[in-house]
Amino acid sequence: MDILTLSVIGALVVVALILVGLYFSYYNRIRMYENQIDEAWSQIDVQLKKRFDLVPNLVETVKGYAKHEREIFENVSKARAGLVSGSPQERMEASNMLTSTLRTLFAVAEAYPQLKANEQFKLLQEQLQGIEDKIAYARQYFNTSVLNFNNLITTIPGAWFAGGRSKREFLAIPEGERQVPKVQF
Amino acid sequence: MARRSFFDEQRRNRRDSILLAIVVSLFLFGLVYSFAYIFAPDALIFVLPFSLVLILIYTWGSYQYGDKIVLSSTGAHPAEGNEFVYLNNVAEGLAIAAGVPPPKVYVIDDPEINAFATGKDPQHASIAVTTGALQKLNRQELEGVVAHELSHVRNRDVEFMTFVAVLVGLVSILSHIILRWAWWGGAGRRRSRSRDSGAGIEVVVIVLGFILAILAPIAVALVQFAISRRREFMADASGAELTRYPEGLASALEKIKDNNQGKMKVDEAVSPLFISDPNKSPLDNLFATHPPLEERVKRLRQM
Repeated sequence: MDILTLSVIGALVVVALILVGLYFSYYNRIRMYENQIDEAWSQIDVQLKKRFDLVPNLVETVKGYAKHEREIFENVSKARAGLVSGSPQERMEASNMLTSTLRTLFAVAEAYPQLKANEQFKLLQEQLQGIEDKIAYARQYFNTSVLNFNNLITTIPGAWFAGGRSKREFLAIPEGERQVPKVQF
Repeated sequence: MARRSFFDEQRRNRRDSILLAIVVSLFLFGLVYSFAYIFAPDALIFVLPFSLVLILIYTWGSYQYGDKIVLSSTGAHPAEGNEFVYLNNVAEGLAIAAGVPPPKVYVIDDPEINAFATGKDPQHASIAVTTGALQKLNRQELEGVVAHELSHVRNRDVEFMTFVAVLVGLVSILSHIILRWAWWGGAGRRRSRSRDSGAGIEVVVIVLGFILAILAPIAVALVQFAISRRREFMADASGAELTRYPEGLASALEKIKDNNQGKMKVDEAVSPLFISDPNKSPLDNLFATHPPLEERVKRLRQM
């Protein structure tokens, strides 16, 4: 073999190595973001589940003081049922509905001074507020992860290594519904 | 873009931590050397390897247990119980937004509004908030403050800053010891024992030891000054990115400005960890560990 063939082979090997390296790096990054999206969703899932478990306690506590607000209790339990089944989008919608029915519930509670003074009620209210915030933050993290993933697989060179993956959906829910807490210590 | 800069920040902090470990180890070794030279010139050959090992252990220990040392030096206690559900909720929520594990939450009993974060990595991070902050800030403001601290965690500032605080803490203690020794006439006793051959060098080493001792706190202040300002601005910005509400932190900082006297009982070495300088002193204009609050509020309001 003469020098020319050797250097051509050498150049080809270098190019192949670079391509393989790029492939590995982008493959890993795409996988990393996919995992991050899954993890982000599981964060939301955990909070939805916690909320699901917490709502009956709240309803019981309120019932102790305000038995006749039956309609609200029904709405709350209907919205609550939607938290644990269905697609992510459906469950987020149920969660949203629950947020607004809970808001009515807390508004009603304003009319019952004894209930408002109940320690258990205050704690539940704080915990639900906390969960609501966490859901909002988890959604924000989810959407950021989706954005990063979509950016990666739709721009060059990431798009070359995306292997037919399609863009992920954002969790589109109106922002700015966060409530100022009434809880004070 | 945001992600890139936060990875950059992590890398930079990692590099700074390693650099710091090397510089401080060398510095300590210099101090020990002058010590050994003064007290036991004949035993240098035994003292030096021994001290080298000790310095390595010390550096490793500062890295590994720095957060515990810092937390206990500020008198922080774990935020447990119903009264702190609120604070724990805020911290957990923001940890979710930042994509880091929920930090351990601590409370400091102090009427001033302040907070800090510490820990060697996001998996072992702690956040401490004063009771004053819990009482005087509303939820958005508290979220702003906690988000600022969590950004320090995510950018791995806490790793570096805790490391500085603890390593530096010993440097000033050692310097204190040397200075005290000089004060009580140790140098006089020294002269009688000195040998003819080493007398000249000895004086040089003693002088060097004193210079180091005097320079240590100043050098430390300058290093802190250099490291803290950029990190504080970064943490303000990425904290605002987490809450999506820069005004929360801005108004918290304004409350800090109006409320705080700067009279918390906190060691100087630990003070750069706090969101706002806990000890105000006349030297602050020269060696401020924190950028002026007005400047931070202005930048937040421009976001």
